[in-house]
Amino acid sequence: MVTVKINGKEITVEDNTLILDAARHAGYEIPTFCYQADLVGIGSCRMCLVEIEGQRKLQPSCVTPVLHGMAINTETPTVMSARASMLEFLLANHALDCPVCDKGGECELQDMVYKYGPHKGRHAEPKFKFQEKDYALSPVIIKNSNRCVQCLKCVRVCREVVGANVLGALGRGDHQEETSFFRHFLDCDQDGNCIEVCPVGCFMRLPYRYKTRPWDLKGADTICQWCATGCRMVIEERDGVLIRSKAQFGVGLNSETLCARGRFGNDSMTRAERLKTPLVRRFGKLEPASWQEALAVIKDNVPSDGERIGGIASPRLTNEELYLFQKLFRNVFGSANIDSSARWDPDAVEAFIKAASMDAGGVSVFDCMESETVIVIGSQVSDENPVTDYIIRRISAGRRMNLVIASPRAMKLDSSANLKIRHTAGKAGALLESVILSFNSARVAGTGGLEDMASGRLASVTSEAGVDGEAVESLARKLKSSGSVAIMAGTDFLRFPEGIAKLGLLKDLLKSSGKKVSVLPLLDRANQRGAWEMGVHPSLGPAYARAKQKGLGTDEMLEAVSKGALDFLYIAGSDVASMYPDEGVATAALGRARFLVVQDTFMTDTAKFAHVVLPGAAFGEKEGTFTNQEGRAQAIRRLMHPPGKAKPDLDIIRAIGERFDPSFGPKNFVLALDEIRSGNRMYSNVSLAFNNKKNSDNRLDSKEALVQGAGASDLEAKEFAQKPSAESAEYPFRLITGNHLFHSGKGTMRSETLSGLLKAAVVEISEEDAASLGLKNGDRVRVKSKDYAAVVTLRTARGSKNAHAFLAENFEDCPVNRFLRRGEGPPMVSITRA
Amino acid sequence: MEQIILKNLGKPDSHKLENYAASGGYKAIQSALKMRPDNIVQMVKDSGLRGRGGAGFSTGLKWSFIPKDPTIQKYLCCNADEGEPGTFKDRGIMDNDPHLLLEGMMITSYAIGASVAYIYIRGEFDFGARRLDAAIDEAYAKGYLGKNMFGSNFSLDIYVHKGFGAYICGEETALLESIEGLRAQPRKKPPFPALAGLYGKPTVINNVETLACIPAIIEKGPEWFSKIGTEKSPGPKVFCVSGHVKKPGLYELPMGTTVRDLIFNHCGGMLTGRPLKAVIPGGVSAPLLTARELDTPLDFDSLAAKGSMLGSGAVIVMDESACMVKSAYIINRFFSHESCGKCTPCRDGTPWLTRVLKRIEHGEGNPGDIELLESLCTNIFGRTFCPLGDGAVMALRGHLKNFREEFQFHIDHKRCMAS
Repeated sequence: MVTVKINGKEITVEDNTLILDAARHAGYEIPTFCYQADLVGIGSCRMCLVEIEGQRKLQPSCVTPVLHGMAINTETPTVMSARASMLEFLLANHALDCPVCDKGGECELQDMVYKYGPHKGRHAEPKFKFQEKDYALSPVIIKNSNRCVQCLKCVRVCREVVGANVLGALGRGDHQEETSFFRHFLDCDQDGNCIEVCPVGCFMRLPYRYKTRPWDLKGADTICQWCATGCRMVIEERDGVLIRSKAQFGVGLNSETLCARGRFGNDSMTRAERLKTPLVRRFGKLEPASWQEALAVIKDNVPSDGERIGGIASPRLTNEELYLFQKLFRNVFGSANIDSSARWDPDAVEAFIKAASMDAGGVSVFDCMESETVIVIGSQVSDENPVTDYIIRRISAGRRMNLVIASPRAMKLDSSANLKIRHTAGKAGALLESVILSFNSARVAGTGGLEDMASGRLASVTSEAGVDGEAVESLARKLKSSGSVAIMAGTDFLRFPEGIAKLGLLKDLLKSSGKKVSVLPLLDRANQRGAWEMGVHPSLGPAYARAKQKGLGTDEMLEAVSKGALDFLYIAGSDVASMYPDEGVATAALGRARFLVVQDTFMTDTAKFAHVVLPGAAFGEKEGTFTNQEGRAQAIRRLMHPPGKAKPDLDIIRAIGERFDPSFGPKNFVLALDEIRSGNRMYSNVSLAFNNKKNSDNRLDSKEALVQGAGASDLEAKEFAQKPSAESAEYPFRLITGNHLFHSGKGTMRSETLSGLLKAAVVEISEEDAASLGLKNGDRVRVKSKDYAAVVTLRTARGSKNAHAFLAENFEDCPVNRFLRRGEGPPMVSITRA
Repeated sequence: MEQIILKNLGKPDSHKLENYAASGGYKAIQSALKMRPDNIVQMVKDSGLRGRGGAGFSTGLKWSFIPKDPTIQKYLCCNADEGEPGTFKDRGIMDNDPHLLLEGMMITSYAIGASVAYIYIRGEFDFGARRLDAAIDEAYAKGYLGKNMFGSNFSLDIYVHKGFGAYICGEETALLESIEGLRAQPRKKPPFPALAGLYGKPTVINNVETLACIPAIIEKGPEWFSKIGTEKSPGPKVFCVSGHVKKPGLYELPMGTTVRDLIFNHCGGMLTGRPLKAVIPGGVSAPLLTARELDTPLDFDSLAAKGSMLGSGAVIVMDESACMVKSAYIINRFFSHESCGKCTPCRDGTPWLTRVLKRIEHGEGNPGDIELLESLCTNIFGRTFCPLGDGAVMALRGHLKNFREEFQFHIDHKRCMAS
């Protein structure tokens, strides 16, 4: 700790605190352009110059740490005149076209000139102009360099946080222009973080252009709906149209970053095709009906036998809605048949929860990043959870640590890793087992027979995982030498549950070796964790408590529907027809359903089978909480009312419940949360106020929002047999799936901006494979399995494992679940020129 | 005076290794390799040698900041970017006596424990770069470079790295960025290069002329060296004289030679006989001296006392026919063209100065322009990231201080006072 004097006020701060931060602690704001807490300081804009007593020159406070006994003045006439002079210099070449600039009204340059002046310009010379017309840098970025203040935040955020590294500076001096390589059109992550960090109207969002003035917008501070990272953001509307989503500096775990989905995907909310009225099937056709009618029809069709009722709720509903959904089933319908996923096996979910110790409470991603070794496995994190990728990249660059990435596909985060392992898809378990054996080899050494057995096993699992022994040994060595290890385990463990047991084994082994171990699940649906913790699971109730009665999961429910053993299916927000990993099975079952209720925001493929369709509210039209993958319960806020007669899902579920039991439900989300808090130990401390704190020092981790442990648990981890894949020379590629960087499930396809970025399916294979097939990036290819074939565009990836083809599950023109077969492993496909 | 740095200039095939060796070259390195590295650092400290690139920092002291830990990779970078207008001394040495520089670098590398050294040479010096490459090849062939050079335990590799014509690359940290393949912009200091320089490793950056002094110090001893020149600025200095003098060129003279002595005794006096008006003593960023100040000794401290600086030792002489507004404009235009763009005051301030100066020079000045220039100078000076912007201001202030009436005349009469 050091003590310094700031403007005469004594203050004690930690060693190496920047003068800027020390001054803020003392209550003095210092203006900056180029400083950003998450980026490496460059000290170039000179706005933050301060006077240090005894030093001849003014010093940049954003890169100068305090020294004991320093006397710093931040508001003397010299400092103030320096600030004014920097602004005068910045304005010398600035376009000053505020009346037509999108940033007008929320421009940092405007604010600073207003505050620190000069209020009269002396620059009477012709200005330098980069270009006459704004130019588009990408489908979402448009640029006007004449307004640039050269803070280079765009370049730095692109390189240091996003890792795309596609921006740089052209030219020199006052001709320096931050842009793409010779202003070429960008093929990048399209996340627009360059736009967000731009203090002026230089980088602008193309979809927002000329639409509005910031003061005409109404905003709501909420949580992103597109993955389980749980980014905080503000969504803004004007005249009932959602116009913009933006992140805020120093707020939420994401601070000023978002990904393409979060920043550009929410326009789907205000699409005209939204469901606006309940629909009831009459004579084979879905026709508009009143709520009264729809609810009456539902009531008439609910069988008295709970075993003949089933429900599937989307992991994108709020905790309150999900809680009420399971309450409706368990308490009112007397049914245990509920599930929250069309994709995952409930037993796999339970094993995964146990392996990842999710019942022990929330784990902060920032705490995980404090570990000496961090392993990312089972997730294409750069695409699935882009902002988690940013956090890992930014923190790992700033400290000495091991970052190990195990995945079949190459990803952006590879460049931050000091060990990357390319294993065969679905063989994460074999890889982990080989690491466990290698880690244990020292213990087993010298015992003769055991050693041979272990090494024989090691060789076989290593080859099964498709990795080389050196990588396995290297990872085992890293684990041995680390006192703390974090494992970030993704949804591939749920896709291929045979690996879950090994994940749990590795965790236990590391713990028993005296290491601090944290496991962070990486999930792809905004409230997947919440859905599980609310008890939307056939065998687990709220807080992972074992349910009295074990019900059916999605897969079993569809089977029961097909067999006529289940009469009434209520699907809330889930698109089973397009997400269940075998389209044929799903549609056959839904087609045979005696009574199907679908509650959604759009007419999905599943809703087309329904007998009653209920129009629900989108995430910006209701209130409640989401629990992200870390176990951080955060509030979402309402911005608009649902269109037409659509209602928040909580009201719909309650209305159904009240038809059977007038005292059924809490009247609103606050009361619902109270009910959750009193009954669910993990949520007893959750407060709606947590995430609405602004963190003045960009200390992003508000740990109080993490859910508590559930106490003693009796979770069971079943062993899973590997499902067979029909391997043959005819179909050399193993087909793997997941989310595309620009999409999340099917919902983002409704976004005009995101479907503008990428609408048609692409298949990704390694560069080597493409070369050996004589194919190149952009070629049209036919992807063919024994069951289905589709023509899509080819993308090649450098460094991916050979003989693997990735097809995202998001695209409508190539439904992946037509390739998948119930009860089979990953399908094998061939790729040929179309 | 005995020539130390330029001793081989003008000799036939002076760039060849055999001729350099025949004139006594490559002896100093061999005796240095028998000494302890810290003794060499001490000798250079004792000699009082100050960096010839412009800042005049003690060379031995700079070397002594390098950590002694032998497990850490260290680098030597020779700053041969020679970008200061009016300067051509390093070019003379590299074109004609490349082995002198190489020998100086070998001794320095040995003294600081660097196993890799770079010569960052200005891109326009293609001839010099080829000469250096050839000299390095000769040295490798002889076993003077590479593994176990001269049969010792010490190994050194030297690489020539060509710049691409940016003045900022002469700033040592921008030079490091450029070698690393990054955009040449200065880094923030601290950390200083002696602790975290090239590729984050301890690095010494020395000017060509500085390194060329090293062999003589080893050979003849620090005491001999410190007796040349003045007490605070010992040693020989190469002056690059240009402008209105009879015999412009390179002159190696003891530090502390007066301007008058240099121009009138060594350079044969003024070119046309017109009286001297002003002298820029150390490259264009050094404020100029007037005819009244000709007895100023050319060394670091005497010039600093006059408010100017020795800089790189580029002496530019102007007679009465020179227009000081035009001179200020041309010099300022250079700086604004070369501003790297990193910090606000230099990037946006120097072009503003240029625009105003251009107006005054072209007879479009307005009353108040001089005050505007002075105010802008105040706003730039001391607030820039690196000394480039300060250099631009110092040059302009020198002109304004001594020749304010010429600027006023330009503004009032819309024409030049001098011609």
